[in-house]
Amino acid sequence: MSSFTIDCLFAIAFVLPLVGVVLSLATRRFSWNNTLVQSMFILSGFAGLIAGSYFFALLGIGNSASFNGTFFGLVNIALNSMQVFFLMLVYGGVLLTSLYAIQSLPPYKDVYVLPTLNVASAFFIVGMQATILSPSLFTFLMAWEIMSVSAYFLVIADRSDESLRAGWLYFVMTHIGFACIAAGLLLLAGGNLFASWHDVALSALGATPLAISIAFVLLLAGFGSKAGLVPLHQWLPYAHPQAPSGSSALLSGVMLKVALFGFIQGVALFPFVPSFSAFLVISIGLLSAFFGALRAAVENDAKRVLAWSSIENMGLIFSAVGIYLLVHGSQDSAVSAIAPSIALFIILHTANHFIFKTGLFMAVGAVASKTHTRNLDELGGLAQRWPIFAGIFLALSLAAAALPPFGTFFGEWTYFQTLASGMTVSAFFGGSFALILALLALVGGLALFAYVRMFSAIFLGRARTTHAEQVSPMPILLWLPSLFSVLLSIIAGLFLFPILSAPNTFMEGVTLFGDVAILGGVSMNAWWVLLSVIFIGVLLTVCRRSFSNRNPARITDTWDCGQPITPRMQYTATGFSAPIRFFFKSILMSEKELIIEPISMSNPWIVRRRLVWSIKSFFEYWLYRPIGIAVFAVSRAVKRLQNGVIQLYLLLVICALVFTLATTL
Amino acid sequence: MTYLLITFQALVVLLSAPLVVGMVRTLKARFQNRQGPSIFLPYVSMLSLLRKEMTITKHSSWVFRMVPFVVLGSAFFLALVVPSLFFGIVPSSLDNIFLFGAVVALGSVFLVLGGMDTGSTFGNMGSSREMTLATLVEPALYVSLATLALATGAWGMGGIVGHFTSLPWLVAVPPAIVTLIGLLFVLLAENARYPVDNPATHLELTMVHEAMILEYSGTYLAMLEYASAIKLTALLAVCMGILIPFGISAPPVTFFGLGIALIAFFGKLALGAFAIAFIESVIVKMRFYRMQEYMMLAFFIALLGLAVELIVLYH
Repeated sequence: MSSFTIDCLFAIAFVLPLVGVVLSLATRRFSWNNTLVQSMFILSGFAGLIAGSYFFALLGIGNSASFNGTFFGLVNIALNSMQVFFLMLVYGGVLLTSLYAIQSLPPYKDVYVLPTLNVASAFFIVGMQATILSPSLFTFLMAWEIMSVSAYFLVIADRSDESLRAGWLYFVMTHIGFACIAAGLLLLAGGNLFASWHDVALSALGATPLAISIAFVLLLAGFGSKAGLVPLHQWLPYAHPQAPSGSSALLSGVMLKVALFGFIQGVALFPFVPSFSAFLVISIGLLSAFFGALRAAVENDAKRVLAWSSIENMGLIFSAVGIYLLVHGSQDSAVSAIAPSIALFIILHTANHFIFKTGLFMAVGAVASKTHTRNLDELGGLAQRWPIFAGIFLALSLAAAALPPFGTFFGEWTYFQTLASGMTVSAFFGGSFALILALLALVGGLALFAYVRMFSAIFLGRARTTHAEQVSPMPILLWLPSLFSVLLSIIAGLFLFPILSAPNTFMEGVTLFGDVAILGGVSMNAWWVLLSVIFIGVLLTVCRRSFSNRNPARITDTWDCGQPITPRMQYTATGFSAPIRFFFKSILMSEKELIIEPISMSNPWIVRRRLVWSIKSFFEYWLYRPIGIAVFAVSRAVKRLQNGVIQLYLLLVICALVFTLATTL
Repeated sequence: MTYLLITFQALVVLLSAPLVVGMVRTLKARFQNRQGPSIFLPYVSMLSLLRKEMTITKHSSWVFRMVPFVVLGSAFFLALVVPSLFFGIVPSSLDNIFLFGAVVALGSVFLVLGGMDTGSTFGNMGSSREMTLATLVEPALYVSLATLALATGAWGMGGIVGHFTSLPWLVAVPPAIVTLIGLLFVLLAENARYPVDNPATHLELTMVHEAMILEYSGTYLAMLEYASAIKLTALLAVCMGILIPFGISAPPVTFFGLGIALIAFFGKLALGAFAIAFIESVIVKMRFYRMQEYMMLAFFIALLGLAVELIVLYH
């Protein structure tokens, strides 16, 4: 009976977006079309969340929990707890972003073609679910492709030149990634396209070590390009911000997690992982985290800051996956004891990043829709206009910067503490974990910088443009989903952290309020932290009331040294990050240039001076550009063959035929 | 009983915080051949600030008013968990080293927000600089704390200091000296002292911390100055508690032990204040755009300290 309920709910969650497609096209002439379709999505997300919770309530959250869904006898899908966890991220994302889209999309109905956009969203949602649910290689690749292509339509939704360029870049990169994934999985499956995951794992047992190594690198490149890992991240900061904000939230908050899911599922198929793999994943993950955080700290487009921060967070998660690969299954029990704590970080940070990134994308989208700009240099002063919304945004920023008392802090604490405790295992782990820890601390610091900078540029001080000064009140559905994200982020620390840390004892309900002990018995308790925050807050308020002057404050001008100051005199976001640009000059390849243009021919002293600064992409310059130059050089060389003489072409055709015959026979 | 001890310990830190600032100022004045003010002057100035009227700029929002509470709150938290008189009384979740680091960062972040919410370039400039420093000092801080934890096998501030008290000085402290130097770099940067910041001036060329709090007045200014005094005292108590681990005891507390602990604590604070005043009198402030050198140095010293501990541990 109960498994039938879960069946039904998952089926409803899967089918409702498709119903939404039909409705969207059928009712496209009516004004309530968008609301109707979004409600379908909301219902789908809701059904899915209930199904997922029911699944966990029924079966616990240990690794062994699995469930045979028959979907009314149509297909046979064995769901395990990892799949359900990632599915719940999808459903949660769909629920929040669709709630947001009810009011955020209609003002843009001249920019986007809403019915078409909603069709793309529906296929995107279905594609992500199908990717996670798919029981075999072929369905997985199909679902992956549906997800990727519909994401392309989300990216180009506003049909501007910039979006088309970004979309094109995304389209090329995602198909390179797709090719890598398909090749890697087929290599494991021995060429059998229709193999189920079980068959793939069986056939991988017979694969040669070389084939295993190649398959691993291919899978890392394929899933890594989707997850935005350096150096295949180039498309992400361009593509994600171009989509409508709700869709950006899904792309950054959820789709990247689907890529992570694909990678984890793919690695689970390997009979053994090649010895270099752990180091490869760790270094790529750390590199991504560092570059993502550094670029997020100097970027001026608010949504692009978030996109770079997604690269950073996926890098953190992948570096942890690498460490898991390194320690998992080690003969030494002290080493393999590190694995559960690292796994706890991976799963917690996956959830946390989903929560705050979805919330932040929606919040930035709300700001952009009211002020008509995403440029941090043109905003400011919004905290006076929207005090509540500013509070929500601040909370999300603090969550993103991994500060207590938000869930992200407890996730990152797990990572830091595991690395630190792991240093006691052996000299090798001591040295390498120390370096990783130091780099992670720097990444954490840069992320802190990026989010403080973004929040202050948008909300603090004085408005820098009239648009930002005269904003209208914010409609409720533009900020409510972000508020849910804030609450979820606190809940993630209070509940998810203890629950996930003790998957097997949770069912007895003993550890919810207790300390969470990880590797080495080191413990942390989110409840204590929250209690001390409340306690100190109350204490300070009481002290303020009883000890100090209680007269109301006098409202004055800002101290201006006797000269009136204007909003233009404030530090812009660009100015704020100047020290970081200076300190990391060689990595950011940042350049300042003074351009002098003469105005008068007769007098050389009358000139117009402009200062421009630019940041070049390190990887674009040192990796993509040389490859591009090489490709052009080769094609120029080959072009000589194309001389217009038909006899030469015939000769070439014959050569090709002879060569083909010679190799096949 | 434990809660009573925690409260007492926190109260001692909270009450002695302005004294530390006063001692540093007076000692610095003596180094400069000046008479200097009384060491109790900060108490008087903070109390009088509490009674003054506040002015708040009209270009600020609620964030500006919230900042003093969060900054002082984070300082209170440090005062609660730092093992100044006793160790092993704070719940292990609360005195964890990474939580300690995060709370320090939280305080810095809100100071920065306060400086940004004024619409004045002064505050903005201080904020930009403070945020950069807080970012770059993070690796050195975390590596130093992790090193101490590694050396002692304890992951809380109390456990770390407790470990140093339980071993002979010559066994425990010398390997940690390099890390302590790294922590000293962090302490100077976090507390806006020389060579990172000049706590005594209001010149826009030199200041970081003072620039951020320029717009604050009255009660809020008192709260922010008090917070920075507490932070200095707490970090000093940690460093000195490790360098000179005497007088700090575990829970069964006797009156005699308590007296020793109090005397030792104030002695250590006086020594620490002397050290800071001495450092500030013999070095000059560095140019801000050379801060990366300072931070790199701090980071490498912290890493060196870690290497020393690893060698001690595995050889």
